[in-house]
Amino acid sequence: MTVIHPNMADETAKIRARDVCVYYGDKKALDDVSIDISPDYVTAFIGPSGCGKSTFLRCFNRMNDTIGAARVTGLIELEGEDIHSDKMDVVQLRARVGMVFQKPNPFPKSIYENIAYGPKIHGLAEKKADFDVIVERSLTRAGLWDEVKDRLDDSGTALSGGQQQRLCIARAIAVDPEVILMDEPASALDPIATAKIEELIDELSGGYAIVIVTHSMQQAARVSQRTAFFHLGKMVEYGPTSEIFTNPIEERTKDYITGRYG
Amino acid sequence: MSSSAIPYGGQTPATTGANALGPTRTPAFEKRLAQRYRAERNFRLLGLSAVVFSVAMLVFLLGNMLINGIGGFQRAELTVTINFPESGVTGDAVSLTAPSASQTLEMQGLPDIVTFYAERDLGAAAAKQLSPDAWRDVATALAEDPALITRNKTFALPASSALASGLEGEGAPEMQALAAQLAKDGKLAKRWDWGFLARSDATSPQAVGIWGALKGSILTMLVTLALAFPIGVLSALYLEEYAPRNRWTDLIEVSINNLAAVPSIIFGLLGLAIFLTLFPNLRSAPLIGGMTLALMTMPVIVISGRNAIKAVPPSIRDGALAIGASPVQVVFHHVLPLALPGMLTGTIIGMARALGETAPLLLIGMRAFVATPPDGFTSPATVLPMQIFLWSDEIDRGFVERTSAAIIVLLVFLLAMNGLAIYLRNKFEKRW
Repeated sequence: MTVIHPNMADETAKIRARDVCVYYGDKKALDDVSIDISPDYVTAFIGPSGCGKSTFLRCFNRMNDTIGAARVTGLIELEGEDIHSDKMDVVQLRARVGMVFQKPNPFPKSIYENIAYGPKIHGLAEKKADFDVIVERSLTRAGLWDEVKDRLDDSGTALSGGQQQRLCIARAIAVDPEVILMDEPASALDPIATAKIEELIDELSGGYAIVIVTHSMQQAARVSQRTAFFHLGKMVEYGPTSEIFTNPIEERTKDYITGRYG
Repeated sequence: MSSSAIPYGGQTPATTGANALGPTRTPAFEKRLAQRYRAERNFRLLGLSAVVFSVAMLVFLLGNMLINGIGGFQRAELTVTINFPESGVTGDAVSLTAPSASQTLEMQGLPDIVTFYAERDLGAAAAKQLSPDAWRDVATALAEDPALITRNKTFALPASSALASGLEGEGAPEMQALAAQLAKDGKLAKRWDWGFLARSDATSPQAVGIWGALKGSILTMLVTLALAFPIGVLSALYLEEYAPRNRWTDLIEVSINNLAAVPSIIFGLLGLAIFLTLFPNLRSAPLIGGMTLALMTMPVIVISGRNAIKAVPPSIRDGALAIGASPVQVVFHHVLPLALPGMLTGTIIGMARALGETAPLLLIGMRAFVATPPDGFTSPATVLPMQIFLWSDEIDRGFVERTSAAIIVLLVFLLAMNGLAIYLRNKFEKRW
């Protein structure tokens, strides 16, 4: 069923998923998805609401574990290690695979504590000076340092929506993850804040494998190099973004891209 | 009426017909609109009158208590001057401050000495109306300042309750006459009685104090808080965060909700049957009282705690989990700090209920006559509402005002407790 463009199989894939199904109770939310996520590119998941793209994204850091009724089958490997195996610790997995959510969710603590929280619980730093370095570096990479350096003790929730989302990205990169998952990171933001987030994704790509779920096809076209189109719980087509948007193979992809439904 | 209303922007409304008006521009609609406003006004008035009524009742209650209670903080006192060097009482700084000083002074005849000087100052009839325990006040004064033994000192000593009633214009006519005479001479007056806050229960309203019951209440509340808060919070956390959703947890939830509604006297029976069987020597002790009240308070804390935990936004939880926090870290770093203000509110509601509770304590023996403040958690004690209940049962008129005064002390204690809770809640409250 799934159409995969040539040359998408990747020996150096960061994440390799095979025949992944997700059930919510009796309902099958995701049906037999297999994909290779490259470490060098930004991969976008697009598709209409309820197509399973966010569900699939949440498999990569096992956030579906927190939903009692959810059940995941199939194989997901992070650098060749099965993330569901006993050897893989879920806490460590989530430190390696960071996540940014649709709605900015900074902790109701100071900006500084928001960033320092991850390194603190994982014991990545001990001295105050080390934390200072991490906080400055993370905020700088998230493009937020200049805006907040004078008020690191202010609450993270006092920032604007776009700043909050960049704070959440800074929080995710503070623990130096290998992969960053972004679940519609800009859908709650205005166009200017969205542009800043997209710029940031561009800058971060290369350093991290980035997977972004988005509603906006323009956004997928702007920020990603690989695109997977999902529909009704299935992955319909996966290929280079330019190909998907200009020359899709599947009829359903073409219909979605041209705005026939979705 | 503006039935000749100007059509929107000079255009005819969409509806067809001779003098077509939109359905929201007809007189019938305007009438309904007026009705709607009237209904809202009436509802507001109704609500306002309910609030005014409750406030009026509250003001009446508090005003009544305050007016009666002010008298309860005062007592009728007779002025007596004692010349210690002449009286023959001896003692030094060491013997007068020793624990046994009171007995030593009694053996030296201090009660008779006080009576002697009272007769000299006030006359025989009035001296008879000195409270039999008046000499204890003198002994206490000596213990506080042993240097008094070398000079003259004027004391304000409690009058008998009969004379106190006389001063109020009540009781036997000869007492009223005597009281009036003494008051005219400036030898009998109602004075502010700070000792009320420092003494304990007694048989005479002139000699009672609230400290024993207040201390009993404080000790009991401490036990209640120490047991109910941690157990309640931990139960709420476990039920909300860890317990699987199945028939057993449903059963536990229903039981806890029912427990919060069980009449308090049942908890007293439970305390009697279990705690006093286990610790028969601790009858009337704040420890047992606190344990019984903790049983009653705990369900309230669990219920409010669970609601507070449910109110923590899931996005905060997700954010913490996604960065690699373990479930325990999520709970203690994020959920608990955000839920704490709500938990404190529930705790205060439960504690306030426990503070005012008498029924369960009746059954575990805390209605005893306790004339000395409790030394600790295991010595016999009574609590404020119980003291109020006991005094309200007394025949002596003097107890009426004392009861009101005790109620004021209870209300002030309650207010202080609530104030502390509001302070803590605001301190911990965070916005998200």
